[in-house]
Amino acid sequence: MKISRAGSIAAFALIGTLALAGCSATSGTDTPSAAPTSKVGLDAIDASLTGTITAAGSSAQVAAQTGYSAAFASVATGVTLNYNPEGSGGGRKDFIAGSLDFAGSDAPLSADELAQATATFPGGALDIPVYLDGVAIQYNDKDASTLNLSASTLAKIFAGKITDWSDPAIATDNNGKALPAKKITVVTRSDSSGTMQNLTNYLAGEAGSDWPAGPNLGTLPQITGMDLQKGGAAVATEIAAVDGAIGGVDHSALTSGATVASVDGVKLSNDAIGEAMATGFSIKPNTTPGDLSGGFDYAKIKADTKAYPIPLVSYAIIPAQFKDAAKKKLVVAYLEFIASADGQKAGATKANSAELPDAILKQVVATLATVK
Amino acid sequence: MTATPAAAANGGGPRNTGAPTGLAAMKVSKVGDRVFLGLSSGAAWLIMVVLAGVAIFLVIQAAPAIAANWTQNTALQDRTSGFTLGYDNFWQYVSPLLFGTIWASFLALLLGAPVAVGIALFISHYAPRRVSGVLGYLVDLLAAVPSVVFGLWGIVVIRPFLGPLNEFLNSSFGWIPLFSGDVAKGGSTLLAGAVVLAVMILPIITSISREIFLQTPSLHEEAALALGATRWEMIRLAVFPYARSGIISSILLGLGRALGETMAIAMIVSPKLIISFQVLTNDNPATIASNIANKFGGANQTQADALIATGLLLFVVSFAVNFVARWIVGRTSATPRRRRIPIRKAA
Repeated sequence: MKISRAGSIAAFALIGTLALAGCSATSGTDTPSAAPTSKVGLDAIDASLTGTITAAGSSAQVAAQTGYSAAFASVATGVTLNYNPEGSGGGRKDFIAGSLDFAGSDAPLSADELAQATATFPGGALDIPVYLDGVAIQYNDKDASTLNLSASTLAKIFAGKITDWSDPAIATDNNGKALPAKKITVVTRSDSSGTMQNLTNYLAGEAGSDWPAGPNLGTLPQITGMDLQKGGAAVATEIAAVDGAIGGVDHSALTSGATVASVDGVKLSNDAIGEAMATGFSIKPNTTPGDLSGGFDYAKIKADTKAYPIPLVSYAIIPAQFKDAAKKKLVVAYLEFIASADGQKAGATKANSAELPDAILKQVVATLATVK
Repeated sequence: MTATPAAAANGGGPRNTGAPTGLAAMKVSKVGDRVFLGLSSGAAWLIMVVLAGVAIFLVIQAAPAIAANWTQNTALQDRTSGFTLGYDNFWQYVSPLLFGTIWASFLALLLGAPVAVGIALFISHYAPRRVSGVLGYLVDLLAAVPSVVFGLWGIVVIRPFLGPLNEFLNSSFGWIPLFSGDVAKGGSTLLAGAVVLAVMILPIITSISREIFLQTPSLHEEAALALGATRWEMIRLAVFPYARSGIISSILLGLGRALGETMAIAMIVSPKLIISFQVLTNDNPATIASNIANKFGGANQTQADALIATGLLLFVVSFAVNFVARWIVGRTSATPRRRRIPIRKAA
C-alpha cells in the first residue's frame, strides 16, 4: 500500500534529468574575405547594380552561394541574394511555378519539368553548372587507418551484400590485407539528396550488375540494419560515432578528423575532383539552345588515375528569356561572377569545396551571353 | 484565405468596446454585452472555418495523388527523389507510415502517461504546497521547449544514455520480439524516439490531470480518510473514480500531440517504410509527420501531393482520437463532476 512513493521518486528523477539537459547550439560562420587577385571577376562587377535575387533549392549549394554572394555584394553593395535551401526538388518546383529568379539544383531539369518550365518561360530554361564538389566515402574502423574501395565493393556494401569488414572483397581492394571481423553499418540520408543521386550514378556506371538499383536515386534503397539520419551533417556525425560505420557524405559536410576512403585507388581532394570534372563531364544539353546540363562519363574518369571517381556537380537553373530586363541584368551579372576565378574561389573557400575547371567556366560565360 | 476574418474579428472588436467601466448605466453595458457576444461567437465560428479550410485544402491537394495510377505515373516513379518509387498505390505507401505513427505514439504513451499521472498526483496530493507550485510550473515549462531542441537533446543525450540499456534488453530479453534484432550502434532507435516523445507529452497530461485531481470534492476524501483509509487507499477510492474520465481524456490529448510530432522523431529515429515492432534496431517504422519533414524538400509536385495525402490521413486519425476522447469523457463523466465544472455555469 506504499507503492505511490516509488512513482513520485521516479517523477522527481525525471525532472532532475530534464533540468540537467541543456541544449547545444551550433554557430560560427564568418564572412570570408575574398581576396581579389584576378582582374576579371570582382573588377568586372558593375557596382551600380541594385536589387534582390530570389533563389532556392539545393542545400549542398547554400554555403557556396553565401560565399559567392558575399563577395559579389562587396562590390555591388546594393545587391542581396535570398537563397532558401529547401532542397533541389523544391527549388525546381518553385522555379517552374515562376516564383524564383533562379533555382539551385543538384540535378538538371527533367524533360517533363522542362516542358512545364517552358509554359512559364516561353524561351525555355537553362541548366548552368555553378558548383563542384565530391561525394566522400567516410568510414569508421580503427583497424583500417587507410582504406581503398572499388566500385563493385562499394555497391555490394551499400546493397547489403557485404556486411562485414573482414570480407575478402575488401581485402582484395587493399592489396590482400584482410581486416578483422566487424559488422558494417551503412549510414545514409533519410531525406532525398543530390549526394545520393551522384553516388548512385557512379555505382550504376561502374559497378554494373553489383548495383541493380540503377542510377539517379535520391535515397539509397532500404536494407535491413541501414542507419538513416536527417541531413548530411547528421550522417557525418553518425559515422564518426558508430564503430564499423560507412556512408557517402558531401565532401563539404565532412568534419575534421573524419576518415575517408580512397575510391578506385584515388584519394579525395579538391584537385582530384576538379580533374574528374575536366576529364569526365560531358554536356548533354536539353532542347534549350546553350543549355549546359550534362553527366559524368565514369569510364573516362576511371581511366584518369588522378581523377576522383565520384564528383558532384550542381546547377543554377535560369530562364533563357527573362520577363524583366533589370532582373536579367542582375542575375546574369551574378552568375557571370560565379563563373569567374574570383567567384569560384569565394565559393570554394566558404564551402570547402572544389572549383569548376576553366573549360566549363568558359562555356558558362558563353551561354550567359545568349540569355535574353 | 481564412486569415482575413481572423483579422477582422480580432482587430475590429476592441475598438468598439469603449464602454465605461465600473458601475455604468445598464444601456452601455448592454452594448458591451452585445459586442462581446459577437466577438466570442465570431471566434467560435472562425475556428470552424479554419478547420474546414484545412480539411478542404488537404482533400483538394491530396485527391490527385490518392486517385493516381501509381505504377504508370512518371512523377511518382521519378528516381531523383525516389521515395515513392516502386509503390503500386497510395495505400501501400501510407500503411507502414500509419502503423509507425500509431506505434510510436503508443510507446510514448506507455512510457509517459504513468509518469505524468504520477507527477500530477504528487503535485495535487503529496507535495508540500511550495514544492508543488514550483514543480507544476516546471512541468508546464516543458511545453514551451521547441521540438527541435528536444530532437537535439535526443541525439546528444538520450541516444548515448540508452545505449547500455539497449544492449542489456537485447541480450537478456532478446527472445521477446520487441527487443530482438541487431541493436542500433548509433542509438537511433524507436525507443529513443519514444522516450523523447514521452517527455514531450508529459506537460499536457500532467497539467490536465492535476487540475482534475484538485477538483476532487474534499468531502469524499475526508470521508475515505475517516473510514480508516490510508492515503493511497483514499486516492484509489475517492480521487481516481472521480478523475477517471479526466485522466483518459488528458492521455488522449497527449496522444494527439504524439501523433503529430515531427522534428524530434525525424531527427532521432532512423526511419524506414516498414512495419516492425522491434524497438532497438535501425529498422524503425517512419511516422507520417517525420516522413513529410524528411521528404518534402526533395519532392516533385505529385510527390508533394502524395505527402499531403498522408497528412490528410494523419488529420483524420487525430480527429478520430479527439472524438474518442470526448466520447469517453461524455460517457463516463460522473454526476458530481458536472456540478463542479465552472465553465458550464458561467456560460
